[in-house]
Amino acid sequence: MMRDRAQLGMAMFLIAEAVFFFLLILAFSYFRAIPATAPTGLFFTALLLASSFSMWRATAGSRLWLWVTIALGAAFLSGQAGFFGTTFFTLAAVHGMHVVAGLVALALVPASALRTMALYWYFFTAVWLVVFVIASQA
Amino acid sequence: MTSWLFAIDHKRVGILYMLSALLFFLAGGMEAMVMRAQLAAPNLRLVTPETYNQMFTMHGTTMIFLVAMPVLTGFGVYLVPLMIGANEAALPRLGALSFWLQLFGGVLLYFSFATGAAPDAGWFSYAPLSEKAFSPGAGLDYWALALLMIAGGSIGSAINLIVTIASGRAPGMTMRLVPLFVWMTLVTSIMIVFALPALAASLVVLLSDRWQYARFFDPSQGGAPLLWQHYFWIFGHPEVYIVVLPAFGMISEIIPVFSRKPIFGYPFVATSTVAIAFLSYGVWVHHMFAVALGRNFLAVFAAASMLIAVPTGTKIFSWIATMWGGAIRFTTAMLFAVAFLLEFTIGGLSGVAFATVPVDWQVTDTYFVVAHIHYVLFGGTVFALLAGVHYWFPKFSGRLLDEKLGRWSFWVIVIGFNTAVFVQHFLGLMGMTRRIYTYPDLPWFGTLNLISTIGAAILVFGILLFCVNIAMSLFFGAKAGDDPWNAWTLEWATPSPPLLQNFAQIPEVRSRRPLWDLKHPEAPDWMQV
Repeated sequence: MMRDRAQLGMAMFLIAEAVFFFLLILAFSYFRAIPATAPTGLFFTALLLASSFSMWRATAGSRLWLWVTIALGAAFLSGQAGFFGTTFFTLAAVHGMHVVAGLVALALVPASALRTMALYWYFFTAVWLVVFVIASQA
Repeated sequence: MTSWLFAIDHKRVGILYMLSALLFFLAGGMEAMVMRAQLAAPNLRLVTPETYNQMFTMHGTTMIFLVAMPVLTGFGVYLVPLMIGANEAALPRLGALSFWLQLFGGVLLYFSFATGAAPDAGWFSYAPLSEKAFSPGAGLDYWALALLMIAGGSIGSAINLIVTIASGRAPGMTMRLVPLFVWMTLVTSIMIVFALPALAASLVVLLSDRWQYARFFDPSQGGAPLLWQHYFWIFGHPEVYIVVLPAFGMISEIIPVFSRKPIFGYPFVATSTVAIAFLSYGVWVHHMFAVALGRNFLAVFAAASMLIAVPTGTKIFSWIATMWGGAIRFTTAMLFAVAFLLEFTIGGLSGVAFATVPVDWQVTDTYFVVAHIHYVLFGGTVFALLAGVHYWFPKFSGRLLDEKLGRWSFWVIVIGFNTAVFVQHFLGLMGMTRRIYTYPDLPWFGTLNLISTIGAAILVFGILLFCVNIAMSLFFGAKAGDDPWNAWTLEWATPSPPLLQNFAQIPEVRSRRPLWDLKHPEAPDWMQV
């Protein structure tokens, strides 16, 4: 029961985040009149995608996959530093802060909360894919 | 003291919300009085124009974000678990975190005064005025950061309430049987989850412009100030219902109990709330009629805005029909509830007038708007809240509020409020613009403004009477007992104030009036067809 509550709460939180990112991405698309610096981070995007896979493995109860997830997430972040000072930065930074928060949470939460955190992690992988595709069109 | 600082019990968190809202209510009231003093006569120079701009910005921001939202959240957090027969909120630590985010957001906003740079671009801070080029001081940064924290806190408490209502209901309590206050709190919380992120997104984009030299709102660089207006009002119009729907919920609890009749048309009151929630996302452009957006565009939003009057009117008629033929007891709580019906209807009618585009063009950004929002937010939300405080204070504190003092405060508040705000309709129609620092000595301007200022002073006196009543009754009030109003919902089945564990035994629910069923085993509601 307790887990269901946490997952429902997380789902509600992610709905709020979806509205938030939808509007941020919309603002960015609208603003594209100036060419933005297109992200070149296909490699780092692949890392984040891989981290969602390892997250899925980690929910089966493996600590090792959890640390793989954290390592991949941190590696993704290191690739984001290059966007500083671009218009694209707003999106990348806000997404990156969510990844940082996710990494801290993954390192701290008890195993019982991993499934709830997995929802969070999948969601922000998906957000990045959308951001990446849209920003690549610029 | 520390037991309050670290409290996660929903009742304590709820009380903290209400107390912080009361504190900021007094601050926001003082800001209003500074403005009314400055406007008391033509060509006054009591404060500087800069101070005046800070006053109206802080007054609006305070009353919406630091008073209306937290006090309604406080009532929800306190009452919802009790009403649904739960012993605690579903996510108690999230509930506490949300309160502290909310409070420190308010503290951050007010800290801007100490730095000498309070925000001054109005409560909706339109771009490009809010951009660095036109607002170079730190005031707008305080404003945006404080509202970001408050948005986070609001979303957190909304999630807590949604999960509590979804998972915590007593056995047998289906969604068809929950009290209407719970229904409206649920709908409001879902609206918060969908609307507050729009505010957060606007603020992030604004901060990005201010700090990062992004150009989202700068037309010379491909940005558009109009984007701010759309984003802010996509949040801002649902927000209006976020601060009024829980108040509707309170009225839906109070009027039946003091009319000794079950609510008339429960399904209509509940579903019309959902209708309002849906419609509220399709009306934001009525705040922007004065922007040239195209005739068809305006027609759609004008029609949707008028449509909202239908589900809202449904509620008004349900409440009146509940009173019709009832054995009405005019306690102070009921007086405020009945006054709410009248005052809110005035605000609703001027709202429909605004939905008519040519009328809006004529009176937008005048004192007609100021009168309209005060009839909705004070005549609506605050009157319902005052009814709610008089109704639930015995449950919160274990003591009754003084009825005699309550009646005095009621009449003083009614007279003060209407004197202060009703004349503003005329000022608006005569062309007095809102947010104006001072005005020339035009015919009637001075007289009507003076009447308004005198009304505001009377209103302040009424609010002080109310505060005195709270403070006195807290210590000297008559003992309330568990159920002083002979009510029907589950919060009255607990001691006043409730113990840490709300219910010694979780009741089984079979009707909309579970406490009636307990008191009348010979004729429970669920036996009626």
